[in-house]
Amino acid sequence: MKLSAHYNKASIIVSVTVLLAGAVIYFFAINYIARNQLDRDLDEEIGELFEYINTHHQLPKPVDFDEDQTTFVKTDHKVVTRFFDTTYKNPKEQKSENGRAVEGSVALNGVTYKFTIVISREGTEYLIQIIAIITLILMVSLVLILFLTNRYVLNGLWQPFYKLLNQLKGFNVSEQSEHHLLLTKVDEFKELDQAIEMMSLRVRDDFQNLKEFTENASHEMMTPLAVITSKLDTLIQDETLKPEQFEQINDIYGATSKLSRLNQSLLLLVKIENNLIDDAELLDLKDLLTEKFRQFQELIQSKDLNLNANLISRKITISKHLIDILLNNLISNAIRHNTHGGELSITLFDDKLSIQNTGIANALNAERMFDRFQKGKRSEGTGLGLTIVKNICKMYGWEVAYSYHESMHTFQIVFETSIVL
Amino acid sequence: MKILIIEDEQGLRDNIVSYLNEDGNICESCNDLAGAISKLASYSYDCVLLDIGLPDGEGFAVLNFLKKQMKEESVLIISARNSLDDKVRGLNTGADDYLTKPFHLAELKARVDAIFRRKAAHSNNKLVFNEIVIDLLGREVEVNNESIVLTRKEYDMLLYFIANKGKVISKNAIAEHLWGDEMDMHDNFDFIYTHIKNLRKKLLDASANDYLKSVYGIGYKFSAT
Repeated sequence: MKLSAHYNKASIIVSVTVLLAGAVIYFFAINYIARNQLDRDLDEEIGELFEYINTHHQLPKPVDFDEDQTTFVKTDHKVVTRFFDTTYKNPKEQKSENGRAVEGSVALNGVTYKFTIVISREGTEYLIQIIAIITLILMVSLVLILFLTNRYVLNGLWQPFYKLLNQLKGFNVSEQSEHHLLLTKVDEFKELDQAIEMMSLRVRDDFQNLKEFTENASHEMMTPLAVITSKLDTLIQDETLKPEQFEQINDIYGATSKLSRLNQSLLLLVKIENNLIDDAELLDLKDLLTEKFRQFQELIQSKDLNLNANLISRKITISKHLIDILLNNLISNAIRHNTHGGELSITLFDDKLSIQNTGIANALNAERMFDRFQKGKRSEGTGLGLTIVKNICKMYGWEVAYSYHESMHTFQIVFETSIVL
Repeated sequence: MKILIIEDEQGLRDNIVSYLNEDGNICESCNDLAGAISKLASYSYDCVLLDIGLPDGEGFAVLNFLKKQMKEESVLIISARNSLDDKVRGLNTGADDYLTKPFHLAELKARVDAIFRRKAAHSNNKLVFNEIVIDLLGREVEVNNESIVLTRKEYDMLLYFIANKGKVISKNAIAEHLWGDEMDMHDNFDFIYTHIKNLRKKLLDASANDYLKSVYGIGYKFSAT
């Protein structure tokens, strides 16, 4: 639930409770005051009654008092004066209404009479009704106003926050996009904004340093590797070496070239992430793939693979260097992880390139396979090939996906239509 | 051929000198920019091997110096930086080729020979190794005046072997030369054998001497003796 909704809920609950409590207190207070007022009126009526009896020495006729109903009943004992609520028959309108009554006793000519005076409570009830309606209207409009204020004013106040949130969500450490400062008058948001800006600058800076470090470290390793290679090249000129020693040297060659490939892959990743490769040109994928088949011919033959190629002419704008690496990695993977005498099928559609191969009989971990240094147990690769593929695809806005279906491992690259020329 | 090697890493420099210092070549070396400039100012060379990252500056200065002095040395850049920008910059400033570290000495030798051949192409475009004559422009090979047909890979391989004649070349170096180091060979060089076998057979069928020898476990040697 959003903050404004929380706030809305709390403020509406509080104001409705307070208003309800207020209404109840109000009701009782007005009721009390109105009753007192009625009782005072009745008191006056009694005074008038006694005055009348004292003056006229007879009981008054009902007509003498207009609105009220006064009744007299003979009694043999004194009645204590008391006020009470009762119903009252309005003679004019022929209906019963709530009324307030008083009873007491009066002595006339030695006879004790019990008298009851009833007056209508309708007036006060009407008043209470009006007050209740006004209170209700107030309550509803208050809730409505609160709701609208929260909705429009509060949401407006929080807009900078959502803008910040969107910027944070879109934050990419490798992108050089600027942080846009917010235009807000709210101090808290200003502070938050500045803190985020500082943080993103620091993160970018650290990331940049890390990349520079990777680049420098990889470069620095190339010279020692060159020394090792040249020493080995010199060492093997000595023909007195035994075959076992040659085999050892062969292993060192292998390790050296692997290290050098690893280094080159790391450097390439840094370059792709830094967007340092921008020599895109219009190339036909069909020609590139045909060239690759020639290049991989020996490897395909040495594994007795059955190559199915379905190519159409498809022009794309891409760096020659990068598409070479991308195709090299995908095709060499498809050959390397293939079974002897297996299938390799490469299909180029207008919107995608699909590379399928037979191999081990279970699906690979599609989620992690594109991560750095994720490779099969028996793989001799650097563990960076697919990461590079993914990064190249990302750079050009393409999608690369892996799937396993009917014993075929499939890598699919979906080109984005905006690249089509 | 007179070669100047400008490389600050001593281990590498010594090996390059000793590898190239046969086959009638004369190698000189220096380890920094200042030494290189002073040598180039006083002497002439056929080929200069130039490292870009030198202790007292970038090797590009040597290229600029040669350009300014209108000297005709061919330059082969050997750099630890495999960057397209450096490559383009070097080649645009007058370098003839660009080799990224680490490299095999056999590859270096083949490149140096290729540069030298290109330079001499106006006067002589035939490479002769005993009874084998290669027409470099037409990419044709004759053995005992009889033309033989080689595939592209076999032809490249023959040139590579002749450039490194008398040297043991590892399978690793051959694979990288023929397929490039970007293609991951996964240490399986079996298919090189097929190409070597075919080349050898074609040469023998044309009654050339058997120059190609296998050095057990490591590679091959092409030698006249």
